[in-house]
Amino acid sequence: MKKLLAIMLASFVLLTACSSTGNNAANNGGTAAEGTKEITVWAWDKVFNIGAMERASEAYKAKNPDSDLKINIIENAQADIIQKMNAGLNAGTTKSLPTIVLIEDYRAQSFLQSYPDAFFELTDFINPGDFADYKIGPTSVDGKQYGVPFDSGAAGLYVRSDYLEEAGYKVADLQDIDWKKFIEIGKAVKAKTGKSLLTQDPNDLGLIRMMIQSAGSWYLKDDGTTPNLVGNEALKEAFESYKELMSADIVKVTSDWSQFVGAFNSGEVATVPTGNWITASIKAEASQAGKWAVVPFPKLGNNANSVHASNLGGSSWYVMNVDGKEAAAEFLKQTFGSDVELYQKLVTEIGAISTLKAAATGEAYKQADEFFGGQKVIEDFAKWTEQIPNVNYGMHTYALEDILVVEMQNYLGGKDIDKVLSDAQAQAETQVK
Amino acid sequence: MFIILAVVMIAAFYFYPMIQALLLSFKSGKGMNLSYVGFDNYVRLFSDKTFLTAVKNTFIYLIIQVPIMIVLAMFISVLLNDSKLKFRGLFRTAIFLPAVTSLVAYSIIFKYLFATDGLVNKLLMNVHLITNPIQWITDPFWAKITIIIAITWRWTGYNMIFYLSALQNIDHSIYEAAKIDGASSTRQFFGITIPLLKPIILFTSITSTIGTLQLFDEVVNITKGGPGNASMSISQYIYNLSFKYTSDFGYAATVSYSIVIMIVILAIVQFKAAGDKNG
Repeated sequence: MKKLLAIMLASFVLLTACSSTGNNAANNGGTAAEGTKEITVWAWDKVFNIGAMERASEAYKAKNPDSDLKINIIENAQADIIQKMNAGLNAGTTKSLPTIVLIEDYRAQSFLQSYPDAFFELTDFINPGDFADYKIGPTSVDGKQYGVPFDSGAAGLYVRSDYLEEAGYKVADLQDIDWKKFIEIGKAVKAKTGKSLLTQDPNDLGLIRMMIQSAGSWYLKDDGTTPNLVGNEALKEAFESYKELMSADIVKVTSDWSQFVGAFNSGEVATVPTGNWITASIKAEASQAGKWAVVPFPKLGNNANSVHASNLGGSSWYVMNVDGKEAAAEFLKQTFGSDVELYQKLVTEIGAISTLKAAATGEAYKQADEFFGGQKVIEDFAKWTEQIPNVNYGMHTYALEDILVVEMQNYLGGKDIDKVLSDAQAQAETQVK
Repeated sequence: MFIILAVVMIAAFYFYPMIQALLLSFKSGKGMNLSYVGFDNYVRLFSDKTFLTAVKNTFIYLIIQVPIMIVLAMFISVLLNDSKLKFRGLFRTAIFLPAVTSLVAYSIIFKYLFATDGLVNKLLMNVHLITNPIQWITDPFWAKITIIIAITWRWTGYNMIFYLSALQNIDHSIYEAAKIDGASSTRQFFGITIPLLKPIILFTSITSTIGTLQLFDEVVNITKGGPGNASMSISQYIYNLSFKYTSDFGYAATVSYSIVIMIVILAIVQFKAAGDKNG
């Protein structure tokens, strides 16, 4: 009896092993020689990124009616994609990985440099010069282009014009201001309307990121690996502005995305300084139509390099070095890489603002938006997209930010700013080793 | 033949990965570009402020939460073991239920309960215990308290079950004899119940210690480790090193092994403290 059981178990193990190789062969083999007919795409955000990919897929089919390329779009949370990619690539197998993957710009270099052979070079398929400059840093390594730049994370300052008027300001007063002026307005808004000026999540330094990029500065030096915290004037001013904001008692503290969205949808805050992808969430509260406007991002007042344009988030498409890569690259070339018409559709239907320069010339970019009181919001964002300073995000954005989040708490608690930055620098140097 | 198969399977699925992870902990680098660095990673642990914060937080949870939970579990189990109590089954089920709920689901509910404008704050303000809402999740001190409340809620019932089953194994005649000798119920509790429960107390404290050292879901889902790493656990740091930052699996393996070492030391200490032949 025992023997029988053992044999059964052993054969079961063998069978599972056999069947898994069988499956893999079926998935990847066969059609490779004459060009794979099936590609898989991984992305997050059903409405935004997945929606964009679905429209791209339709556009490709319309252009190539004879093509039997099948595009499988699979939705995964961003954290899951990162985890699966890291696990798969470290295990040395690409079998479980997609053909096309969406990667956030802040993380792109960490993948491209950690797994140099895992991505397919797209230099022959797209022309980097066609895209906004600041998108090329994250998507290329040593002059070789790996990513197809996708959405713009161009930042703007969304403001509630009705609250501002109640506090004695007009939207025009917020055009091209610096953070000092912003805080001053915030205090007036709080005093007159009782509303907070904005929300902040103490775990998320997105605001700091936007502030320093507006001055062409980053947590790392241009080489993308050396920490650039101590002696970074832009970062120092950003920290000081942040503390001023927090101590002015005009910030509603939140701890996650839904509270963040809830705060402006319920009318608790007067402004939202963030990337343009928030438009859809702002417009989700239809009762506030006509009450919002978007003004240029405030700049750092004491920094000569700081401009009224910055970036938050944004991501790009990458092709993995697996079967079907040529078909995938060709697909991206014909869609996100060049299709101006497709981008008109994306901007009207899902609000995705392109970084393809030519797309901004299309009609859809010039439409007035009644939700924003007739302002041509898309055109404004497209204009700001061109002014965003190009910085090298390097490999360590989130590792350094975790250090800075702690030091920010210390700074808010009274620690000296120079000590804060030098301590952060010391920790950063051990972390990125 | 049958045993050989088991040995092979255990070796392949337990020992091989353990040894691989140990080897990995002597390597460092980004992603696939790993190279041997000797004991560098272990030296790095001691100068890594984030790691030290994570260890400190984890031990705060351990020192405060585990004793509270063990005492609470014991207390509840003694109450629920009283044969005169009505609806015993219902109470037992209710207190055990948290242990079988989904970790992520309950964490998310806790996050909403303890939000600044959440139910807990509203309740406390309505009964005038506090005037301003407590920043349960965004204040470094309260974030830790929130985590402690959450894990206590979830695991007390689980530990209670062990005590209940142990209590039912205690011969009732011992209590009757004590009663005849005139021992009060407090005296019975300290004189009979606790000494007889000793093996279970040891068992629950070791499993709870291991559980707390591996704490992950609650911290990630409720506070994300924040504000500013104030509630981060060691397991979350391992996750961050592997998947949130540029992957450094070598160093992450080193941190994992540091947990193994801590668990081994603590288990030995607890066995010794229990101080009898159970050790």
